[in-house]
Amino acid sequence: MVPTRRDFLNGLALAGLGAALALAGAAEPAARRGASRPLSDREEFGHLLRRAGFGAGPGEVEAHQALGWEGAVDRLVNYEKVPNDSLEARLAELRLDLTKPQDLQRWWLLRMAYTARPLEEKLTLFWHGLLTSGLSKAPPPLMLAQNQFLREHALADFGTILKGIARDPAMMRWLDIAGSVRGRPNENYARELMELFTLGIGNYTEQDVREAARAFTGYTVDREGRVSFVRSRHDDGLKTVLGRTGRWGPDDIVDIILDQPVAAAFLAGKLLKFFVRPDPSPEATVEVARTLRETGYSIKAAIRKVFTLAEFRSPAAYRSLVKSPAEYAAGTLRQLGVETDGAGLPGLVNQMGQTLFNPPNVAGWPGGPAWLNTATWLARLNFANRVATDRRGVRVDPGRWFPSGRLPADPAGFVDRLGELLLDGNVGPEQRAVLLDFGSESGVALDPARWFDSRGRAIIYLMLALPEYHLA
Amino acid sequence: MLDRREFLKSALVGIPAGIYMPNIFVRALGTAMADGSRLALADGGDRTLIVVQLAGGNDGLNTVVPYQDGRYYSARPTLALRPETVIPLTAELGLHPALSGLSRVWAEGRLAVVEGVGYDHPSLSHFEAMDIWQTADPQRGRQSGWLSKVVAGAVDSQGHPLGAVALGARLPPALCCPPNAAAVIEGPEAFRLAPDPKYPALTAAREVALRRLYDAYRPPAPYAALFESASVGAAVGMAQLQQALESYRPAAEYPQTALGTGLKLFAALVDRGLGLRVGYVIQGGYDTHAEQARTHEALLRGLGDALAAFYADLAARGHLDRVLVLTWSEFGRRVAENGSRGTDHGTAAPMFVLGGRVRGGVYGSPPDLGRLDNGNLRFETDFRAVYATVLQAWLGADPAEVLGRSFPTLPLLA
Repeated sequence: MVPTRRDFLNGLALAGLGAALALAGAAEPAARRGASRPLSDREEFGHLLRRAGFGAGPGEVEAHQALGWEGAVDRLVNYEKVPNDSLEARLAELRLDLTKPQDLQRWWLLRMAYTARPLEEKLTLFWHGLLTSGLSKAPPPLMLAQNQFLREHALADFGTILKGIARDPAMMRWLDIAGSVRGRPNENYARELMELFTLGIGNYTEQDVREAARAFTGYTVDREGRVSFVRSRHDDGLKTVLGRTGRWGPDDIVDIILDQPVAAAFLAGKLLKFFVRPDPSPEATVEVARTLRETGYSIKAAIRKVFTLAEFRSPAAYRSLVKSPAEYAAGTLRQLGVETDGAGLPGLVNQMGQTLFNPPNVAGWPGGPAWLNTATWLARLNFANRVATDRRGVRVDPGRWFPSGRLPADPAGFVDRLGELLLDGNVGPEQRAVLLDFGSESGVALDPARWFDSRGRAIIYLMLALPEYHLA
Repeated sequence: MLDRREFLKSALVGIPAGIYMPNIFVRALGTAMADGSRLALADGGDRTLIVVQLAGGNDGLNTVVPYQDGRYYSARPTLALRPETVIPLTAELGLHPALSGLSRVWAEGRLAVVEGVGYDHPSLSHFEAMDIWQTADPQRGRQSGWLSKVVAGAVDSQGHPLGAVALGARLPPALCCPPNAAAVIEGPEAFRLAPDPKYPALTAAREVALRRLYDAYRPPAPYAALFESASVGAAVGMAQLQQALESYRPAAEYPQTALGTGLKLFAALVDRGLGLRVGYVIQGGYDTHAEQARTHEALLRGLGDALAAFYADLAARGHLDRVLVLTWSEFGRRVAENGSRGTDHGTAAPMFVLGGRVRGGVYGSPPDLGRLDNGNLRFETDFRAVYATVLQAWLGADPAEVLGRSFPTLPLLA
């Protein structure tokens, strides 16, 4: 059905934008539109590699398929066994100055794009968004140290991570543990620890915050970021926190908090919303929370549980998350197998709404639909344009995508392979027709190299711009 | 009658190169461009509300200072502002000296200070308190922002996608949901689609293809409405925004800050008549737990100077009567300073309301420093009374419908 212009305008006036578009779009559904069929093998593994990392580079889906689901999950989770030397060598060659925010951000984005241990970087990003700190209060060397701490302990138990982060100089500055003294405790850290990191609002009282704050007194951070404890500034009196009374110190507060059953459910929810879907089922939350409690809050056990849930592989989870800018940018470099030194990359990611090492506030990035608005949509498309058409700082070699090492003779072969690399082969028939039209309307026949440089690069841009590609 | 495909083709006519133009807006935009002059909002009147959020919890006591109150001075041995330094508003209250930019506004009787604004059982959490202010619901049952109904629809009936503009990278909850009813603009330079530098001649074909690809993405595909409003808002907005900025010469010098640049952009949109109904801008950094004095002074200096420039610019162009500015923060701060020469999270604080139609003066009563609740101020005026006033007397909306019940309004506006 082709609506007339009058229908179109009437629809707009009567029912607003969404309805007008629904009216306009009564054609056949594209592949996977709200489909409830089980995922294909390629979709499942593409999904796993997007969620456990930043998408699959050329050949990565096939390599993981060969291991089977359990084998692939094992390989991703046991990443300490995977050598990462070529990443470290690549980064060392760049001689970045990690005391500069831009270089620090570039360093991390390149790690995401080129690591052989994608889950390591993905979990580090998860922790950075939960146990936040930011450059607005902590200088780059401290943020780097925190990032290394989170990377090193990304799979550890939650208690270890929480105890470590309370002595992390960047966190100590970010939430004012540094300088909090007996008699006049600063409540900032104690409050956010309970509200945002572990329990959630409603699961503690204002009195718990005031009492717990006393346990974190006595610590200072000097100009070089060295932490020291001054006993005379520490409040070693009795404190009552979450119903338990004692001369609690910082580690005791963590133990008391993690004894609350709600803490396991809270973290399970955070993991599921980050790795699976925006609205995880209560059953999945219960299961992951149980794993956390049974394993002493082992993150390794919990993340393995997450990837083996039926819900993780369900159509409801597929493309249910909006990619963060870091995922969109680093994932694009990775999926296309692009060579770049990443110069200028941090600025482009900032324009998409994510300044790594500097979340907007202590709650981290809100994520989900909040990633997409007029400004960030433009920034994403302009990033895609940069990757596709830069030609110098970003080297796209399409030969690497084809077993023959050469471009196929017709646009269809190019579009379909790119669809596999970027969209698990899910390009709807309507969209495929648009891309083929665009690829073949050049009028005169071009040689393959010139065709790629003009039309082929534009097709890469268009596919990176597709709504589906913005979803993880 | 044109069929859809022909309509799509005709859509490209008359649109500047480099612009992806969703078909449904072409007629409206064509009208706007042909007219070229000021277009009043069809159903919103000719009035603009500018919301300035002071994020982090602004210290109200050091913003509007009770400079005759000894209890203020004893609670704040290092942070209190001496009586001789404040800008006196009344015999008891004075502005922080860094707010000198607001002196003219006050002298002209166009600045209202609403004292002691808050609500019952205040939250001391940034996020909860921000949510409460943005949704106007201390019970936290409401999902949509207090301004969302006012700006509902990505575009008004005359094709203005810039009816609501939020500056920054994110949509503030006050304007949400449906998501992205407002255009979110980080900066005018970034607010356009870049071409392939080597093949500029391909631009039009690329953008036609892009439009067709987006047209093919429809409900029930995930987030379809979100992609539509983001792409449509961007496409039409960027055309109008570039047009407005290219021709705008401000009549005042704005500070080179995000707030200053943002207010200048709002002035341009107001001056060009692009249907701006709500502009939203955030000045962050008010969470002054430690070493507050210098930070707070710089923040207030930035606030006062930017508002002063905006006021002067609008006044010079005769737009003052069409614009109302409202400032808010999620909470004030603890009355007593802490051991780090800062202040912890508190409760009630003043709001500023300024504009050509404002009746200047101090409204409400300052919170009583002798009657604290756990070291925090007790509020005197419910923030929803201020919202109700703005909704009814400025935006022409029904406050009871938006806020769920009625609140007494304040005589802030002439």
